[in-house]
Amino acid sequence: MKFDAIEPGVYPELVYPAYKSTVKRGPLQPNLRIEAPVPVTRNIVAGPHILLPNDTDLTAHGQGEPLGEKIVVTGRVVDEDGKPVRNSLVEVWQANSAGRYWHSKDQHAAPLDPNFHGLGKMLTDDDGRYRFVTIKPGPYPWGNHDKAWRPAHIHFSLFGNVYAQRLVTQMYFPSDPLFDYDPIFQSVPDEAARQRLVSRFSLEHTVGAEMLGYEFDIVLRGRDATPMGL
Amino acid sequence: MSKITTSQTIGPFSHEAWQWAVDACTPADLKTSGPTVLVSGIIYDGDGNPINDAQIEAWTPDAAAREAEHMIPGFRRVPSGADGEFSMRIAVPEHAAPGEPLAYITVFARGLVKHQFSAVFLEDAAGLSGSAILNQVPEARRATLLARKTGDGQYHWDIWMQGEKETAFFDYV
Repeated sequence: MKFDAIEPGVYPELVYPAYKSTVKRGPLQPNLRIEAPVPVTRNIVAGPHILLPNDTDLTAHGQGEPLGEKIVVTGRVVDEDGKPVRNSLVEVWQANSAGRYWHSKDQHAAPLDPNFHGLGKMLTDDDGRYRFVTIKPGPYPWGNHDKAWRPAHIHFSLFGNVYAQRLVTQMYFPSDPLFDYDPIFQSVPDEAARQRLVSRFSLEHTVGAEMLGYEFDIVLRGRDATPMGL
Repeated sequence: MSKITTSQTIGPFSHEAWQWAVDACTPADLKTSGPTVLVSGIIYDGDGNPINDAQIEAWTPDAAAREAEHMIPGFRRVPSGADGEFSMRIAVPEHAAPGEPLAYITVFARGLVKHQFSAVFLEDAAGLSGSAILNQVPEARRATLLARKTGDGQYHWDIWMQGEKETAFFDYV
C-alpha cells in the first residue's frame, strides 16, 4: 500500500502542553518518512483462534449483569480508498459505567463492578465491520489540571491489513459537554478530524428494547491495496 | 485534508486489555525453532526519567514461519516495568534480506498521543552498511537503532522519546 503524508493538524500535536505528560514524552524530531517494503505490504497474522467466546460481549464477563446502560457499538474499518479492511484485529478497552477502570493503578473513588472488566477483541468481517456489546462508560477525573474530567470514551487498538496501518485511538459519544475542556481531545488541531472521533447514535443498530446502538467508522491510512486485500 | 481517523493516546490503563498478547509471547510459552536473542532496555522521557507505562511491540515477519504454533507468530508485546525496563526474546530471522532490522518496533505510552514506529538492528548483524532502512536515517541518528551486544545472545537497546539520544521514529511511505 501507499501511505501519503498526513497534513499538519490531522494528528494530535505530539507536544501539547495542556496535556502535561506530552511535554517530555512527545518526540521533538519529525518522523522520518522512509521507504520500507515490509511494513507496507505485510502484517502480523492473528486469526480467529485468538478469540474467546465472549470477547465481543463485554457484559458477559462476570457472574451477573453489569450495572449501567447496555449499548452496542459497531462500524466499518476502511482504508483511504474506502475499501474494507477485512479480517483485521481490533482491541477495545474502557471504564465502567461509573468511570472506573478494571486496573490496579486507577484510584478514582468510583466503584468497580465485579461484572464488568471492560476488555474486548474481535476481527473485522468481509465488509470491514466490527460489532461489540458493552456498557456505556462514564466520564472520570484524571488529575491533569483542576476539574480535569475525561469525556466518556472507548479505547480502540487496530492492526489493519498491513503493519503501517496500526492505530490506537479513542471513540467518544455524541454531544459530550466535556469536549471543549479535554486537552486529549483538543490536542487534535483540525476540527473535522476531532469530530471523526465522535460516534453517531444509530437507530438502525439499536436492538429493540435491549440496547441503543452507536456507530463508529474508522478510516485507516493507506491506499492502493492489492486485490487480495493486502 | 486527509479523512483518516486520527490517533489518541493509549492512556495509563491498557494493561489488562493488552495482556492476552503479552501472555501469548512470554518466554515461557515461546516455541521458536532456531536461534533467538534477548533484547533488553529502558524507555526514557526527555528528562531521562524512565517511562513505566509504555507498551512496546516487536514484529519479526521473517521469523514467523519458525513460530507457527504461536498465537501470533513473530510478534511480541511487552509493557515497560516500574523502572521503564523491557525485555523481549526475539527469533533471529534465517532468511531475511540483508539489512532488514531484527524487528519492527511500535511504541505506545500515556502522554504519547500517536504511536511511534521504529526498528531495532543488532550492531553485529551482517549487511548493516547496506541496509536500505538505515541508509534513509541521518548518519548521526543511526546509532539510536542499534542494539549493543552485552553477552552471548544478549543485547541492550534503549528507547529515548526526546533529547540528544532521541530514537529515530518513522513514518512509512
